[in-house]
Amino acid sequence: MSGPIILGLETSCDETAIGVVRDGVVLSNVLSSQVDDHARFGGVVPEVAARAHVEAIRSLTHRALRDAGIHQLDVDAVAATRGPGLAGALMVGFSYGKAMAWALDRPFLGVDHMEGHLFAPTLEHPGFEPPAIVLLASGGHSQIVLTRAWGDYETVGATIDDAAGEAFDKVARFLGLGFPGGPAIDRASDGGDATSIDFPRALGDRPTDLSFSGLKTAVVTFVRRHHEAGDLPPLSDVAAAVQEAIVDVLVAKTMNAVEQTGVKVVAGGGGVLANRRLRQRLTEACAARGIRLFLPSPILCTDNGAMVAAAAAFRLERGETSPLDSEVDSSLRLGS
Amino acid sequence: MKIAAIESATAASSVALVDATGVVASARRIDRRGHVGFLVPALDFCFSQAGWAPGDLDAVAVDVGPGLFSGIRAGIATAQAVAGAVGVPLIPVSSLDAVALGAATGHRRIWALIDVRRGEVAAGAYRPVPGGVVRDGAAELIGPEALRATLESDRTDALVVGEWQALPAATLRGLHGVKTGRPRYPAAAAVADIARNRVEKGEAPHPDEVRPRYMREPDVTINWSDYREEGPWA
Ligand SMILES: [Zn+2]
Repeated sequence: MSGPIILGLETSCDETAIGVVRDGVVLSNVLSSQVDDHARFGGVVPEVAARAHVEAIRSLTHRALRDAGIHQLDVDAVAATRGPGLAGALMVGFSYGKAMAWALDRPFLGVDHMEGHLFAPTLEHPGFEPPAIVLLASGGHSQIVLTRAWGDYETVGATIDDAAGEAFDKVARFLGLGFPGGPAIDRASDGGDATSIDFPRALGDRPTDLSFSGLKTAVVTFVRRHHEAGDLPPLSDVAAAVQEAIVDVLVAKTMNAVEQTGVKVVAGGGGVLANRRLRQRLTEACAARGIRLFLPSPILCTDNGAMVAAAAAFRLERGETSPLDSEVDSSLRLGS
Repeated sequence: MKIAAIESATAASSVALVDATGVVASARRIDRRGHVGFLVPALDFCFSQAGWAPGDLDAVAVDVGPGLFSGIRAGIATAQAVAGAVGVPLIPVSSLDAVALGAATGHRRIWALIDVRRGEVAAGAYRPVPGGVVRDGAAELIGPEALRATLESDRTDALVVGEWQALPAATLRGLHGVKTGRPRYPAAAAVADIARNRVEKGEAPHPDEVRPRYMREPDVTINWSDYREEGPWA
């Protein structure tokens, strides 16, 4: 007997993303990125995001079903991100998913976006099992989560100011590298010398909390000073040094969480985990400590519908569904 | 013909099921923020009242605005999903048309207003005709002074309906030949009525063409102090 086919809708930020999952296998995973819509504003504009979602949701859902080789009547349950995220954006996928589930007479599940990220590694790594320390980092969130068991989560570290992806975005914008900042800095850092500039790493305070606002200020001050003095180093050096500083903080804090909890498994999720340097450094740090590392491929690190379906499958198996009158919760907190 | 109409373009949201005999079931709630939580339970309630199943439908109708952006999107997403699940046409209806139809009596020119915030209303003028209303010119966004000037210069007696209470009290005060009245909000039953004519004429658009009618570009504020188009290396 095969398990249920689950359709997952994700519209919490700037990707309209739909996935179909069965028994932990991705049958389809499609998305309509809005990067170009937001690039001219240098960041995600909530109203622009919501408008793009409502234009894409219907045809993209049909594409996900087609790619999965199924008819909508084959869908056993529909899931949509309930939060956290941009309220107006969340409402589009949530309304669509709830109405589709009702009209097809199937269960509906509102899913915590962060729990979706926690489940993403299971889609490619059947061996991935809690307990695990999971680094979640994107433009909208940065936290370190202890997954004791599925459904049992504790946030052991969180950012006290900017999210890691936000730090990439702000610095990239200042350097004239465009949006989104993570991939732009990743590319610009090619061939650069990361050790040539020593930007500050906020490693003090609590061992697992993250902070990035000081870095942004330091980059702005550094570039202004050297631009005026006429001795600006190559852009690739600055980009590589910025990236190294952000990666250093993320790796160090994740390893602090590993040491604090004694957990032997690390995983990751969120758009920042697509960064090549971060993946490499996490791989090295985990190998040096004998820790098993499970990183989803970049397409499953960024926001996607398959992860929503994967988290929903777990909830559905436990007999949980969401009532018809449920609403989105833009400030939903993991484990609450 | 069985139609389900979904309306959530203003602070009110409503759902109505209509057939050839008229309204079979309806539900309505006034709550600026509750559209997402209301629509599907309202559909469920109406279908059980009517003894219908979604598969009985011949069409779905939806109010596409102008009005509250989030409300309109919740309505369209809900309607697209239902229409898609049962494979029937989706008919977009203007909130102004629905308000005007709700006021279709007498001889007065009808002005339908919908609150779109920031000191403006969306306004549309309509002529009553037997069995309904006919649009008299294109809808526009308009401020209180301009609306007052338009009504003053218009020699025809006017009935102002919709969200005129969103305007400053002085806007309509003392205007000759101008009355205010109901309905205050568009109703799903009116949305269904308008849609029925279009279904009968085979006027259903492709579902991807059913888009919100915002009548306004998104509000975008950028912190330009930190923004550089070009880096110092350019
Ligand atoms: Zn995310």
